Amino acid sequence: MNTIVLGVGEYGISRTPGTEIKTFALGSCIAVLLYDLKTKIGGMAHIALPHSSINPDRAQILPGYFSDTGVPALINSICSASGKANGKGLLVKLAGGANMMTTHTAFNIGERNLTAIRNDLDGKGLVAMAEDVGGAISRTVTLDVDTGKVMIHSPGRGAWEL
Amino acid sequence: MSTVNEILEKARLVPMLSQSALALMKLVESGDHSIQDIVRIVEHDPALTANVLKVVNAPAFGLGQSVTSLARAVSFIGDKLVVGIAIGSCSPTVFHSDLEGYESLAGELWLHSLRTAIASRELTKYARTEISPELAFTAGILHDIGKSLISDYLKDKTPELLDALTNNTAEDFLGAERDAVGVDHCQVGTALAEHWNLPDELTAPIHFHHDPAQADISLRAITYAVHLGDILAMMGGSSTGADGLAYTLDSGFEEYFTLEPQDIYQLLLTVSLEFERTKTLFFQ
Repeated sequence: MNTIVLGVGEYGISRTPGTEIKTFALGSCIAVLLYDLKTKIGGMAHIALPHSSINPDRAQILPGYFSDTGVPALINSICSASGKANGKGLLVKLAGGANMMTTHTAFNIGERNLTAIRNDLDGKGLVAMAEDVGGAISRTVTLDVDTGKVMIHSPGRGAWEL
Repeated sequence: MSTVNEILEKARLVPMLSQSALALMKLVESGDHSIQDIVRIVEHDPALTANVLKVVNAPAFGLGQSVTSLARAVSFIGDKLVVGIAIGSCSPTVFHSDLEGYESLAGELWLHSLRTAIASRELTKYARTEISPELAFTAGILHDIGKSLISDYLKDKTPELLDALTNNTAEDFLGAERDAVGVDHCQVGTALAEHWNLPDELTAPIHFHHDPAQADISLRAITYAVHLGDILAMMGGSSTGADGLAYTLDSGFEEYFTLEPQDIYQLLLTVSLEFERTKTLFFQ
């Protein structure tokens, strides 16, 4: 199996058989996973923060860092590769967005990321068909490009399919 | 011997920190030193000298030139990172073992500690009262030293700990540790800090980084800095395994820090960038 590893703020797509796209140890970050059943193209973005206004320069270098630049960049990348006019019909899954155990809203970055990503997907006519989000756990996420299957692993909790 | 006593006794058997690490910590935290002062300590420790030169000459450091002068190496690396290298390299069993009880691989505790150190230092810029950034960095490096000692005792109990969290019978992972083995990683870390003769300014954040309101009032600001630095490290993706983010944020931090949501975004970004740059120096 060929593995493409994405770091924080990176996004990537693949249509190469026998490939998986993987990102490690999501805390408050969220992995946005897209899959086109027709062309078997899969993509993932490791999004760290909700809005590019936090650091526009960083968004230029790594658009995948922020939801409002990362979500459109990932959708456009898959559409360019598949010849689709827009993202409609893509399968969408989300994983990550953990929070500390607190009622203090200032540190609820996972929740803010999730809200921003859902809004940005909605703006493109997309809704996640499955989510494994929130809680206080670390998640490593893998997308199998051949099948679109998404696996989540968390230390102490094993692995499960999303 | 009870499990608690056995774990605490284990802390007293850990090799002492090197003299050079202790001297560097003391010097850097004094805030009154030159590069030459640091070089004088490092050059008497051949293993540390080799490690400092290895880091500065690593391709990831990006100098593109060979550095053989210790003084130049220290000026490139910076005093705080030299302290980090000194502590990390003289206590490999503490920082570089795998933590089976947390399902954490070798090196992950070091990465978590490094990220916490960077975050704790950055947080001092948002403090309402002055906190030494050097002290915050060192305290961040040291805050979780108890995990390496308690890990072996947790390794068959991890599912039990996670069930306690799921069923809300434990308030957080720290409480689950206490329920499982009678002691938590902060208490074990404190025993090791005392064995190492660390000063109160470092022992308090080790002891109370998950419950900073319990620290002595004179040490509460630095303890909150490490409390929040630890949290930023976990949120950023550098946890130590099964405990994930399962700790409680103490909102008493507002008495010591001015932090708006925008500040937290900036902190996460700044810490992430510096962490990604720095961590490659230790793993090549």
